Amino acid sequence: MARIVSTLYAAAVYGFIFLPVIVLVLFSFQATLFPIPPFTGPSLRWYEAVLRDARLTDGLLNSMLVAVATSALATLLGFLSAWGFARFHMPASALMRGLITLPLTVSYLIIGMGLLILFNWIGIPKSLITAGIGHVVINLPLCFAIIYSQMGDHQANVERAARDLGAKEWQVLLLVTAPMLWPALFASFFLSMTFSWDEFVIAFLLTRFDTTLPVEIWNLLRAGLNPKTNAVGSLVFGVSIVLAIVFELVAFRKRPA
Amino acid sequence: MLSFRLGRRLAGASFGILALYGASAANAADELNALVWCDHSDPNLLAPFEEANGVKVNVKEFEGTGAGLAIVEQSQPGDWDVMVIDSIDVRRGVDRGLFAELPEDKLPLGDLFPEVRMDDMTVIGGKRYGITEKFGYNTIGFNKSKVDAADMQSLSILTNDKYKGRVAIYDYYLPVIGLAAMSIGKKTADLTEADLPAIKEVLLKMKANAKAVTDVVSSQTALATGEADILVGGGEWVSAVIAKENPDLDFSVPDEGAVLWSQSLAMFKDSKNPDLALRFIQYVLSPEGQARLATSSCYWGMPANAKAALNDEQKAILRFAEQPEFLKRAQPYPAPSEELDKKMQDVWTEMLQAQ
Amino acid sequence: MSAGRQSLAGWASVSPALLWTLVFFAAPFAAMAAVSLFPKDGGGFSLANYTQFFANPSYWRALTNSLEVTLIVTAVSILLAYPFAWILAFVVPERWQRLALMLAVLPFWTSYVVRSYSWLLVLAEKGAVNNALIHLGLLAEPIQLANTRAATVIGFVHFFVMLLTLTIFANLKQLSPNYRKAAADLGAGPIRSFIHVILPLTMPGIMVGAFLTFVLAIGDYITPQILGGNNELLMPQLIMMQIGRRGDFASASALSIILMAVVTVAYLLCARWLKIERA
Repeated sequence: MARIVSTLYAAAVYGFIFLPVIVLVLFSFQATLFPIPPFTGPSLRWYEAVLRDARLTDGLLNSMLVAVATSALATLLGFLSAWGFARFHMPASALMRGLITLPLTVSYLIIGMGLLILFNWIGIPKSLITAGIGHVVINLPLCFAIIYSQMGDHQANVERAARDLGAKEWQVLLLVTAPMLWPALFASFFLSMTFSWDEFVIAFLLTRFDTTLPVEIWNLLRAGLNPKTNAVGSLVFGVSIVLAIVFELVAFRKRPA
Repeated sequence: MLSFRLGRRLAGASFGILALYGASAANAADELNALVWCDHSDPNLLAPFEEANGVKVNVKEFEGTGAGLAIVEQSQPGDWDVMVIDSIDVRRGVDRGLFAELPEDKLPLGDLFPEVRMDDMTVIGGKRYGITEKFGYNTIGFNKSKVDAADMQSLSILTNDKYKGRVAIYDYYLPVIGLAAMSIGKKTADLTEADLPAIKEVLLKMKANAKAVTDVVSSQTALATGEADILVGGGEWVSAVIAKENPDLDFSVPDEGAVLWSQSLAMFKDSKNPDLALRFIQYVLSPEGQARLATSSCYWGMPANAKAALNDEQKAILRFAEQPEFLKRAQPYPAPSEELDKKMQDVWTEMLQAQ
Repeated sequence: MSAGRQSLAGWASVSPALLWTLVFFAAPFAAMAAVSLFPKDGGGFSLANYTQFFANPSYWRALTNSLEVTLIVTAVSILLAYPFAWILAFVVPERWQRLALMLAVLPFWTSYVVRSYSWLLVLAEKGAVNNALIHLGLLAEPIQLANTRAATVIGFVHFFVMLLTLTIFANLKQLSPNYRKAAADLGAGPIRSFIHVILPLTMPGIMVGAFLTFVLAIGDYITPQILGGNNELLMPQLIMMQIGRRGDFASASALSIILMAVVTVAYLLCARWLKIERA
């Protein structure tokens, strides 16, 4: 009995979770102008339209670029600071750690608004770089928290051993600490990528012409109703699944079966 | 190909970091930066100009003059070359010292419908700062298979609850406040703060009948998906673009009239590329550019140039033949002072928040 | 290594992140606070942007609307996610659990903006939900789902059920099965052992997820803007309107700071569950 209820419940939740996505993908193959029933496809018309739209393909590349660059920077800064706080006795350490994780508790809209006002005030023009700065702000605390939580004392012992054998500090960091923390570094990077990739409001406020995919999709939504939006959503879905499979293969291949 | 472009972008971005504190790199000689309503971002409109001149047109969309001017305020001088602005608001741009004088002898002013030249708004202090490119009506859009078209001939429909729950309201305070004012016999051009309480009452009654308050595209979505059968503030701009798929979508110009919307093109004084900006304006006002603009994918509208190269079917959808009759009954957008504008927006916000 | 070099290396490694946070997080916040005190209409220093918020009922209501929607979303998401996480952790066989989790996360790799818009079409009068209910004979006529608060809530719950499932699942997996056994041995029934043993032990997972839900939902612009049909305004919509309609950064800043204050209160309420500890 409990099994049946469990199965039904899980099926209902999966149904709820998948409903909009199935509809989204189905109507990306719609042949006519409105992505609503009845289904008139299948047709690849809207995929062609997406691939011919330079703003969307540029947005896709911009999003990849921003996601990779900001995640790398956030992971690097997070790693360095986590190591510093774990290995050295810093004055007011708790306070400083609190400061670094503080952005986690602030809505993206507020972070974006603050940067917009600051940049506007100093006179820095909006661009992908300013949006990227915002993405590092939201992802740095996350990377720091993940990596810091994985800094154990056993790693400190290995580091000490390396130092005793004559390794320089940067060599210890690069050749000993980083490889030991590899899963945490990878998780930080991947999670940052996910957040940056789908982030809208900061990119919306801080970019001008060259912008990220979510903002281009928003522009598309405001420029006319048609299944092109569905097609671009389905393409993003496809790209993300490929990335997820890569993540699976890379992150878990060392695990015993 | 993709990886090549990605590489170029990476290089570009790292260079961009170096140039961050230098001048804004956005205004290359072969790029035109245009601040526009969404109808101007249709590739069908831009591509012929880009190909003919070997340039790239960067567009940024906004809805509503306040939003457009806000973007300009956040920019550096020289960031923008041309702007699409409601004709009535050309003066606001000129007051802020944003626009350059346009050379009348290089523009097809003689070909424009005389009713929409609007020289009283686009010529200021004897100098021309804007030229009308497109116009239409904010009126009653509806689905004629679902509602009685005769009911749509009177603005009393705004507050009548016959179609309660079937109505969407276009989310732009100026034209809808104009319609509300006309429904109680006020002239859009003469509105003052004293008129606001009566207008607010109309708006609140409208909201009580309405299902949603929607922007350009969600208005189209609402009519197309059957979410709503009447769109207050609608017109050819919403029904024409989807008329092919759903021929039942239509609009009326009620006996009391409708609000005339009219877009103008203006050129920025600080443009780094004034020649290209002028060529763009000339292109948009040419018969070919006008036809493409009139039938743009975001929304359709009447071309200002009577020689626009439209076919008969397109003209029928736009109701070309009835224009003289419509124009007689139309009134312009309200043109509030900055102070009244804020009050109008507060009334609008109150309407949105009302249950 | 000498103590001096020690502290130098420490500072060198933590200062980039600290500086980044100070320059691009703390400084913008200070700028925002400063700007909010100088209203757009001129007249110099004034609290007008704040008094306006408390004096104007349509502004004030944006905050109460936001709080209502966010609390409903958080509660509904927890109630839906907890049993689901439980099933994934204890009913689904171990070797299928990764796949089951992957499946639950998969739909969220479509673009967020597109997903909200897809919900709008699913919930429309001619959309999939109304069609299905009419075909099943559960409805005679389509009902209004799109462009309502319910639509906003559904759009939010969709995302946050997934998020809470992850945090609660992780928490449940850390529980030793012995707890349940011990409680049973002491004569506690399944309900009592759940309330007195399991639930307190999974509070951290619930609270981390609930706090994330609260912060992300109360600051989100897309979902209410696309799904709510402007039938009411939430705080992020009101904030974006200040910029979008008239470029009023001062007022937008003041509203942002008020929103931030609300989130801070939520943080303080959850703080004891949100510590980041080293392994």
